[in-house]
Amino acid sequence: MTNLSPPPNHRQLLIGMAQVALSSFGGGLSAWSQRIVVDQRRWMSDEQFLTGLTVARLFPGPNQINMAVYIGAYFQGLTGAMAALAGILLTPFSLLMALGLIYFQVHQIPAVDRVLAGVVAAAAGMALSMGFRILGSYWRDPIALALAAATFVALVVVQVRLIPLVLVAGPVAMAWYWPRPGSPGGVASK
Amino acid sequence: MMEACTQLRQGDWSQLLEVIRTFLSLSLFSLGGGNTLLAEYHHLSVDQYCWLTPSQFADLYALAEAAPGPSSMIVGLLGMGAAWREGPLWALLSAYAAELAVLLPSTLLMVLASLSWNMLKDSPWRLAFERGMGPITLGILFSVGVKILQTSNHGLPAYAVSIAVCVLMLRTRLSPLWFMAVAGLLGGLGVINR
Repeated sequence: MTNLSPPPNHRQLLIGMAQVALSSFGGGLSAWSQRIVVDQRRWMSDEQFLTGLTVARLFPGPNQINMAVYIGAYFQGLTGAMAALAGILLTPFSLLMALGLIYFQVHQIPAVDRVLAGVVAAAAGMALSMGFRILGSYWRDPIALALAAATFVALVVVQVRLIPLVLVAGPVAMAWYWPRPGSPGGVASK
Repeated sequence: MMEACTQLRQGDWSQLLEVIRTFLSLSLFSLGGGNTLLAEYHHLSVDQYCWLTPSQFADLYALAEAAPGPSSMIVGLLGMGAAWREGPLWALLSAYAAELAVLLPSTLLMVLASLSWNMLKDSPWRLAFERGMGPITLGILFSVGVKILQTSNHGLPAYAVSIAVCVLMLRTRLSPLWFMAVAGLLGGLGVINR
């Protein structure tokens, strides 16, 4: 199980990530990424991959793109990250650009607009579900819920912009959650 | 409602630079996978710079969700909208510039993070950031949901569809493409208006 392949070079990173992008047409980018990088190509162990996923989720940027950057940087540094990034983005982005060009040509046709009105309502439902999806993890932490509620009110009711909000609320929340010896889940266990 | 907002006419190049500057400065604020920036994208491209009408923004969001790949690629579409009246070639240039601009800072930071993870792993900064940003991300995601809902929908049938899709997204593992296809059909039949 532990016999990994030799580290991929730039070309292999590009092709491997392009394969991830193509396989995931229809969904499941994260699962495909693990299947190809860990099971098929054996570049990383499961453990290494999951560490990468943790880093990718923690830092700003789209998770799946960050994961590709992590894989590229892990093996080949900055240039490897660029190769992996190009691999994961080129096909889907080109396709999206083609769709965009078509959209701007045809969106004023009434029939197209009617269909889009429906699709847009469905997409709005998807946007609404994003918050509910992670709500469960905070359900038992009243402070977290209060922070979330305050953030929501600041953005929606007071209409504070995102950047000042994050710059103010971020440090406050970090200070509250700063690991203290003896606090649950703190560094006391070490 | 129309023409409430008119795009400032300026040179092609300064327009492009504005697009780049806008998305460069937002990049590092894309917490929780990037969707947290959607309401900000709406504010900038619809209210502030008038690149798009509200319904165009909603359309582009739906397009980015329906197309394969990370939905954060909507930034490319916004860049395209910003330069559409200069012609398709400028629109494409602006689209690529916008996407690169929004990805560059977060990518560079991610490279640094990958290379120094062993040092960061047990740092109190990391633990505090991880726990502290979670609730803020939660609040932002709900505000994004409300914003997209307001932008996208007019009328009861549209809201009913959105809420049904939201529940189905949480309760089933069906591909969202099915929901979009059915809703598109309902729209085509004239059930959903805007």
